[in-house]
Amino acid sequence: MTAMSWAACPAEDTPPGVTEAPDARSSLSEPETRGVRLPLDDPESFGAVFDAYFGEIHRYVAQRLGVDHAEDVVAETFLTAFRKRSRYDPSRATVRAWLYGIATNLVGKHRRLEVRTLRALGRYGPEADAPGHEERVAVRVSAESLRPELAAALAGLDRRDRDVVLLVALAGLSHEEISTALDIPYGTVGSRLSRARKKLRAALGGVNPMLDPEEAGRG
Amino acid sequence: MDELQAIRELYGEPQADPFLAARVRRRLESGSRRRRRRLPWTAALAGLAAAAAATVIAVPGVIGLGQDPGTAGRAPGASGQPGGPEAASTTLSGRSILLAAASTAAAEPAVPGSYWRVRKLYRQTHPERLGRGQNRYWVVESRLTEQWVARDGRVWSGSRTLGTHPASAADEAAWRRDGSPAEWSSRGRVLSTSPEKGRLREATGKVPFSMAGREMTTEQIRGLPADPAALREWVGAAVREAGIGGGETTLTSTAGPTGGTAQDAPGPTGGTAENTPGGSPEPDDGVVADALSGLLWSKPSPPAVRAAAYRALAELPNVRYLGEATDERGRRGAAFSFTTSFTTSSTEQVTVQRTLIIDPGSSQVLSSTTTGLPGVKGEQVEVVLKAGWTDDEPSPPGLLR
Repeated sequence: MTAMSWAACPAEDTPPGVTEAPDARSSLSEPETRGVRLPLDDPESFGAVFDAYFGEIHRYVAQRLGVDHAEDVVAETFLTAFRKRSRYDPSRATVRAWLYGIATNLVGKHRRLEVRTLRALGRYGPEADAPGHEERVAVRVSAESLRPELAAALAGLDRRDRDVVLLVALAGLSHEEISTALDIPYGTVGSRLSRARKKLRAALGGVNPMLDPEEAGRG
Repeated sequence: MDELQAIRELYGEPQADPFLAARVRRRLESGSRRRRRRLPWTAALAGLAAAAAATVIAVPGVIGLGQDPGTAGRAPGASGQPGGPEAASTTLSGRSILLAAASTAAAEPAVPGSYWRVRKLYRQTHPERLGRGQNRYWVVESRLTEQWVARDGRVWSGSRTLGTHPASAADEAAWRRDGSPAEWSSRGRVLSTSPEKGRLREATGKVPFSMAGREMTTEQIRGLPADPAALREWVGAAVREAGIGGGETTLTSTAGPTGGTAQDAPGPTGGTAENTPGGSPEPDDGVVADALSGLLWSKPSPPAVRAAAYRALAELPNVRYLGEATDERGRRGAAFSFTTSFTTSSTEQVTVQRTLIIDPGSSQVLSSTTTGLPGVKGEQVEVVLKAGWTDDEPSPPGLLR
């Protein structure tokens, strides 16, 4: 992976030095730290960053590469983040988005592994059931049958398109966060996302039009 | 179905090894892998320093997989508020309106049909501000939702996004400064200014209704007491059994703008069907009022049960009459509200208020507006477009007429 270059190479469409307004907090139940920006210079902050984000970064990497391979990649993610912490610019990105960017770039080095993981997901579904899963199964729609097609469509995406759609679906990042996390222009986020969604929709809709009668006519 | 949701279901929730974080942390600290420097940061993390730093960064909001992050509005750990807030009793006029509605409801013929269908217009502010840089704005999502429940208990859920728009004039100005984007991603979803096509999906393995934390079938709702006191007693017992009013409970937000189940909200989940021994606290009147009101509009209650629910509501001290009101479709009715208060796990006091506009002439509920739901910004408005039995077959929602 090439060096993450946050401060060195600002995206043109993001005004520099803009921080989130203090009232950006969204709700009672949502921790206000979701979009936290803080300087990482001191080791204490970095340890706290590890504690705060390890779980979700691991989940994201484990989803994309499988649990067996996630540990190394996540360790590498935090190691990279620590090494490059002086380049982290709190005015441009949240720590969370920054970490997802690093993790995504590292996942990108394991393309064949990711495709293998997707093939397994398509064939067997997710490995483990976390508590509370039964409830989700109960309301799960009949999408089970579409799993192989969806997995194949994801595997068939251009990696850059896949990165964007997975950062939206799995990490819940905004266009803006993805733009800074991957260091790509804002408009590119939108075009990669719509390209990816179109292909995935076709894979889902094309197989089971009965679920969605109106979509069937669209081809 | 939504492809982003399909992606989340495909990937699922990876196995969580409880020792993993500690193991990786130790590994980074000790530099056990080749070419890896030891990280000095934990050395500085002893004692208070760690605690102080940790309070700066709490665990961030994580999107629950298999659960639409946009609809996650949960506040676990509510503790009961016996008796509810000190509320003014229903005024005489309000009481007479509810009793009049009860008479109308009782006189309604029981309409036959193959499906119980509730069609609603749903409006809610997206819980996160959108936009870039200094141009941040709230947006409002609108959606048609439609619930179909067959006599045999099968459930279909239809939904059609009507488009997302800036919430206020100031929000619209900020949206224009942001370059008037037509699409955003937020909380694991893509929002668009354009309407989508209608979708319909069958929910499998699901008991269609829920009241006061108890799952209920159509037949069970038909068997509810038709006497107001007995009905209130039944609901109160269900609330007690569900642990609301004394123990831990979960307040679930109404099936979000992405559609969902026929559950009422704010409605307790979980709970058992066993009788609770005496001495349990009085159920929260707000929760009782909410469960009773659910019988008026979201459930296939027979006329006698609807009438009993209206009469029971008329006697509840915390149901307040707010006067005449007009719903978002311009229909006139009478507004009633009730509140329920509880403490969240973060010991924050939360008060949820639901306001119903009812048409006493037809006894139909026209709309429901909920405020104060944890995780929900501003109002959550549900306008009832249709509620009743039909012989129409389930189909994706058409356009708003």
